[in-house]
Amino acid sequence: MHFTRFSIAAAALVALAACAPPGQQAEQGATATGPIKIANANAQSGQLSSLGQWEHKGVKLAIDEANKAGGINGRQIQLDLFDSQGDPTVGTNVARKIAAEGYVAMLGTAESAVTLAMAPILKDARIPNITSGQSPKLAELKSPFLFLNAPTSVTFDETLAKYLVDDKGHKKIALISNNGAYGAGEHDAFLSSLRTRNVTPLADEVVTPDQKDFNANLAKIREQDPEVLFIGAEEVQSGLIAKQARELGIKAVFAGGAPVGTDVYATTAGLKNAEGTVVSSPYLSNDATPEIKAFAEKYKAAYHEEARMHVAKAYDGASILIEALKQTNGAGGQKLADAIRGVKRAGLLGDYAYDANGVGIHETKIGLVKDGKVVPEAAS
Amino acid sequence: MQVFLQTLIGGVTFGAVYALVAMGFSIVYRTMGLVNFAHGSVVMIGAYAASTFYMTTRLPFAVAIVVAIAVTGLIGLVIERFLRPLENKDFTLMLIGTIGFGAVLEAGAVLIWGATGHAVPSPVATGPLDVAGIRVPTYSLLVIAVAAAATGLLALFLQHTKRGAAMQAVAMDHQAATAVGIHVGRSNALAFAIGAGLAALAGSLIGPMLYVNPTMGGTLGIKGFAAAMLGGFGSMPGAIVGGLAFGLLDSFAAGNFQEYSELVTFLVFAAVVMIRPTGIFGEATVNRA
Repeated sequence: MHFTRFSIAAAALVALAACAPPGQQAEQGATATGPIKIANANAQSGQLSSLGQWEHKGVKLAIDEANKAGGINGRQIQLDLFDSQGDPTVGTNVARKIAAEGYVAMLGTAESAVTLAMAPILKDARIPNITSGQSPKLAELKSPFLFLNAPTSVTFDETLAKYLVDDKGHKKIALISNNGAYGAGEHDAFLSSLRTRNVTPLADEVVTPDQKDFNANLAKIREQDPEVLFIGAEEVQSGLIAKQARELGIKAVFAGGAPVGTDVYATTAGLKNAEGTVVSSPYLSNDATPEIKAFAEKYKAAYHEEARMHVAKAYDGASILIEALKQTNGAGGQKLADAIRGVKRAGLLGDYAYDANGVGIHETKIGLVKDGKVVPEAAS
Repeated sequence: MQVFLQTLIGGVTFGAVYALVAMGFSIVYRTMGLVNFAHGSVVMIGAYAASTFYMTTRLPFAVAIVVAIAVTGLIGLVIERFLRPLENKDFTLMLIGTIGFGAVLEAGAVLIWGATGHAVPSPVATGPLDVAGIRVPTYSLLVIAVAAAATGLLALFLQHTKRGAAMQAVAMDHQAATAVGIHVGRSNALAFAIGAGLAALAGSLIGPMLYVNPTMGGTLGIKGFAAAMLGGFGSMPGAIVGGLAFGLLDSFAAGNFQEYSELVTFLVFAAVVMIRPTGIFGEATVNRA
């Protein structure tokens, strides 16, 4: 008897643990007069959850503002959050749920791999998706329902290569990147930008996204004594690589895309190790323009923390969606996708003008990490 | 040669941590014949507890580790108390129970510390040592020394104390142990607490080398488990050798096989286990079911 009771308790415990994480249940049956259902899918748990949480706050800020201002022609927007856990498999389940439960659009995710996994399902369901992923593979899908909040890695890395090679004259460059969707995109884009400049990297090390010990890879890089070490990995892994590289005595300047411009990178690497890292990003600082400054203050008032690129990216995406929804009067499907494609907006990350591949912005800027924060290169 | 030695240092450092995780798995398996799948999550809780006390209350790192060990030791006792009614009855349910506990601990960590995690500054201020061009991070030396000391202490406890001997006796034959008056439940509880303490030590040490977050236990748990299997599950020397072997294998695979390193690591692991199913130290497996 005792045994049976415990069996039930143990089974219940497991069942409870296996239940859906904080992803909120969406209500069925939105009508043309009821609220407009928008899904926000992003990692709320796991190693990439910092991105997901920033993204959600950015999206929520834009949606709350729109609702306060009267919503979409009088209809309120209902924003529901789904936890993708930064995992493509979880992502596909979330995509099916979103498709089944009558959402007109999806914002997110911050991860290219998850967005890539979700894209076919959302395309079939004709649900427009505005993502913060930036892998060139997203643009290659040419899905009429997928839109990027930012440039792809091709733009990020072209700007970076131009700065490092053309402007600074560096030729001794080594690469370390992971073979995840984001890292592989960065690797290919940067390598091709180097090739067009006739620069062959001294070393080209590829690691796995779960790898923690880079001694072997970095020791090989150190033997080549590069001037620049390009890091193509997400925030935490980039930080670990930078930290271990300095411990090994690698003096090269670190360079990379948006992840190396975050405080997660800087604190993981250690502020001293991160100092001087070259960042290519469309969003360098909260003081860059009066518009960005006003946005950062608004964000700080709402969430009591500093704004950052992922917040701005998500805010831009949500604002574009709101603008498009106003044009379609809340209707989704092809009509909404076409409306998004037509939106021209001076956003926080730059001027949005979607091309045929769904890419919204086509340039990035160069910044340098100083005391854990990015400052625009020209001002340094 | 330099690359080889540098790889060796990285491998041994991570291997020392895997060894601690593997020892935690093994000590519970020895006494109860049970694989504690919550072990990886306990490592994560240990990492969080130590780093939180170290960073927010400004406790010295060593004291923070002791506090973390106490916290997880308590968690170990709780897990054992929940599983005790199933002892010698249903091991499958006990296994599922440990998986459930792991998920609960992960969810608990998200509730307490949030989902985003934090970076832990190195408690050792001095830079790496330069030995003929080989850079040895001073923190790596600390990790290896602490892991070795913990291993030594555990061996002393198991070999030379009455309680340790009692635990060994329970591992060998729990019915005979009961007959001579050893309290099996208490012995198992102690095994769970020591296992959890080792997890906390591993977590505390790896915190400044990684980024502490609620899901970090996953990879560490799998690698520690594989290390224990490689060494011979249930064998304490096996856990140490397995941990170091796995760390080195991981490190050299990363250098030589790049993006296929994980595949190579686990292929080698699978090959070793196929040739020697009982692991390198090949003790007869404990089966209490």
